[in-house]
Amino acid sequence: MTDFLSTLPGGLVTGAVYALLAMGLVLIYKATRVPNFAYGAMATLVAFFHYDLVEGRSLSVSLDVLFVHVDWRGDVRLPFWGAVPVSLLFAAGLGLLIERFIIRPFARAPMVVHIIVSLGLALLLSATTQQLFGADDLIVSNERAIFPRTAAFSVGGVNVSWERFGVILLVIALAGAVFAFFRFTATGLAIRAVATERDVASLLGVSARQLSVVSWVGGSVVAGAAGIALASLVVSSNPNLLLLLTVKGFAAAIVGGLTSFPIAVLAGFLIGFGEELVRHYLLPVDRALFQGAPEVLTLGAVIVVLALRPKWIFAGIREDEDSGVTSRGGMADSALARMIDPVEVYRLAKAALPLSSPRWLRAMPAVKIAVVGGIVAFVLLFPLLPLPGFWTLPANLTLIYLLVMLSFVVLVGWLGQISLAQGAFVAVGGAGTAIFANTFDLPFPLPLLGGVLLSIPVSIVVGLPALRLRGLHLAVATLAFGLAAERAIVPRFDIANPVRLPPSLDTDTARYYLFLALTAITMALAWRIQRTRVGRSFFAIRDSETVASAYGIRPVRTKLTGFVVSGAIASLAGTMIAYQLGGVNTQYASVFFSISWLANAVVAGIGAIAGPVIGALMFGLYPELTKSAVQATSISFIPQIVASALLIVVMAVNPEGLASMSRFVRSRATAYDDVADPADVEAIEAVVAATGGVATEVDGGDGRVGDEARDPEVVR
Amino acid sequence: MSTALSIEGVEVRFGGVRALDGVSFDVEEGSITGIIGPNGAGKTTLFDCISGFRRPSAGRITFAGVDLTKRAPWERTSLGVGRTFQNARLFRSMAIRDILRTVQHDGMRRSGFFRSVLGLGGARDDEREVARRADEVLELVGLAPHADKPAMELSTGMLRLAELAAVVAVRPRLLLLDEPSSGIAQAETEALAPLLRRLAAYLDATVVIIEHDMPLIMGISDEIVAMASGKLVTKGRPDDVRNHPDVLASYLGKTA
Repeated sequence: MTDFLSTLPGGLVTGAVYALLAMGLVLIYKATRVPNFAYGAMATLVAFFHYDLVEGRSLSVSLDVLFVHVDWRGDVRLPFWGAVPVSLLFAAGLGLLIERFIIRPFARAPMVVHIIVSLGLALLLSATTQQLFGADDLIVSNERAIFPRTAAFSVGGVNVSWERFGVILLVIALAGAVFAFFRFTATGLAIRAVATERDVASLLGVSARQLSVVSWVGGSVVAGAAGIALASLVVSSNPNLLLLLTVKGFAAAIVGGLTSFPIAVLAGFLIGFGEELVRHYLLPVDRALFQGAPEVLTLGAVIVVLALRPKWIFAGIREDEDSGVTSRGGMADSALARMIDPVEVYRLAKAALPLSSPRWLRAMPAVKIAVVGGIVAFVLLFPLLPLPGFWTLPANLTLIYLLVMLSFVVLVGWLGQISLAQGAFVAVGGAGTAIFANTFDLPFPLPLLGGVLLSIPVSIVVGLPALRLRGLHLAVATLAFGLAAERAIVPRFDIANPVRLPPSLDTDTARYYLFLALTAITMALAWRIQRTRVGRSFFAIRDSETVASAYGIRPVRTKLTGFVVSGAIASLAGTMIAYQLGGVNTQYASVFFSISWLANAVVAGIGAIAGPVIGALMFGLYPELTKSAVQATSISFIPQIVASALLIVVMAVNPEGLASMSRFVRSRATAYDDVADPADVEAIEAVVAATGGVATEVDGGDGRVGDEARDPEVVR
Repeated sequence: MSTALSIEGVEVRFGGVRALDGVSFDVEEGSITGIIGPNGAGKTTLFDCISGFRRPSAGRITFAGVDLTKRAPWERTSLGVGRTFQNARLFRSMAIRDILRTVQHDGMRRSGFFRSVLGLGGARDDEREVARRADEVLELVGLAPHADKPAMELSTGMLRLAELAAVVAVRPRLLLLDEPSSGIAQAETEALAPLLRRLAAYLDATVVIIEHDMPLIMGISDEIVAMASGKLVTKGRPDDVRNHPDVLASYLGKTA
């Protein structure tokens, strides 16, 4: 009994933190229907800001304009509770900025776009935190703890510190405040109205925009409070820690259907307790056997709840019929997007350059052939170029990244399904290859094939939830799976030494050509998929499962096929890592890796095969080269900040990514111009004539469908 | 003439509401049958049952002697059932030409995953055949000049035409059209009747149409089924149904 009692405080504290995270997520989701994957990153940024302020920081401001010379230097340092209002104000400002510049432009976007944008925001904030406050862990010393770490009282012989006790009370107080806000204030009531019936609420004069601001600022403050309390509790926190804790928060929130506070808070406490029990009873039995058990528990809870599909979960959640990232239904409307609208740029360029566009367009194929030919020649002759030796590793890694992005193109771009567990497939490929080669001693090509084949059953297991889940639910389920794999499975296979290739292939140059051949074959197969029946069935499922099944396309079979193809491509990347670096490298199997490369794949172009090529050069070759050139003296997070900011901009301007930018610009430029394109008028007359009708008045040729008609929700 | 489609005592409940309350009727092979009725009569629900998107709580639906009642939507394509949607739904991001190839998915018997991806034997012939038929249907409905436009850029009228083209490309034996005239201009509606007749002749199919446009539906149907509040009101030749007292009552309200 004493033994069980001793788990109480720990369970309560862990649960309290999850409950707090879940609450903030529900708050924001309820009012804006945005799943905030950046929640943990927001909490981290505020926590780092806060403890930096408590620690003290020297600031200098110098201004030198004409005759004004201002030079100020000083230490900014506040006591813990003095810094709290400042930090929470900072959190509020952060929430305001995020709402205005990142959330509002996507107000009417489909769920998949929301998911990707908020993941991009998470990467952006995490990189910003590390750039501003350093990549080291945040360590909260005893004198800076939120409450004293001395014992407050003891339960059954177990001491409970003031810190733990205080945090539990704090969470209960915050939960009470949020609950009262929704119950008793007019704004809270309005948010509940918007959560139930968005369109009706706005007809009744409730401003969804205002509520969005309120809830983002509120949610951000709750996140900040959670971050400050949590950083103190765990003593030493990694900048990415809270990103992962978001998964736990999501697990709890999703049990409450992302709209119910009481259920979310209760679920948070239950998950916390469950983990504490696992930690207390299972881990001491066999630390190696049960490693990662808490994460497996979270995954289990999420999958079980989602599989049972209780009514309350699905009542509040919007499920898009239209799940494509690339379909332009999600076109954002923002000042930012208009400002850098490529169409405007194109027009300006066209007006400024004395080129007549037909000739320029006619020259295009030649330019294209030259560029493609140049790339092919460069890629083939690469190892023969007189380059320093450190070029080969970056080149090989680039091919690996290319395949990872290609696996996202198949799954997200073509099939419209989201998976944040691609890293797990990379791990499967690597572990399979290492085991087949080292343990079973199979000769060369067999371990590689084995690693890829091993991914098929795993893809089916991961794909099974996708048969019932869509959009947000799928993202959370795969995120939980990815985390469980990262913590529970991958560390068991951490094999340090590269798998040996036959002597004739065991040089960096030979490996380069081997990887190049594998990548080229995979890309050719992907290109074939895109152009044939298989690819068309993917696109059909992405655009609408209902319509697809009305035309004889089987959703279950098609989705599983897509998951298997995508998993096989990712696991091929894993086998290449095994030959290059060693079995399973935890870095390449992490959820963080999956999310970053999903972001990169989206920026480069998630709908086309050219996307991963562009992405590999931009986000693979270039950073890897600079990294090995500078020998990584000072780590800069500027590339990650730029990449994730670029992701958000790309989603706002053209969700199809950089790969299709030229086509996109041309098509939009013509769409603007041809209000009365004679070819169109002719075509309409032809239709009318063919149908034997009277050619009197037919609506406009470029025939843009009204905004209401584009929104799948409104149509239904 | 023999019976193609047979609806027997079909019943659908939404909670306490009976959306369909024991509807039964037969449709003759090769005929055009119109379904009319006020909003909430259960017309689209009936279509959902025939095409498999809703399973009736009681009753049986057979087409060409095959019991359809418990089959999944995608199974019905190979059994010859094709339908359009009330709000003209297609694959929004695809160009019309690609849509017309995509919808022929089920007919590509020689194109399994590997044969398709490796471009072996039958798969190539399949692809050629599918492309040929897509072009043929494009010509038939007069959409050839718009073949490369994505569906989301089309006007509602064009989208209707594209959806008709899509369902025709599948070559169904039973064609279910849900309000083909809704949302399109009057001039286009007038052009619709000859087009529908031409498509029915091209397919040599049995056609069932839900429609609110009375001149259109009365003009092209061989038989009319009138429904109200989930029940069949009457079934017969257009002229007889038009003047049927119960039909008038359900549209104009009952007179005491």
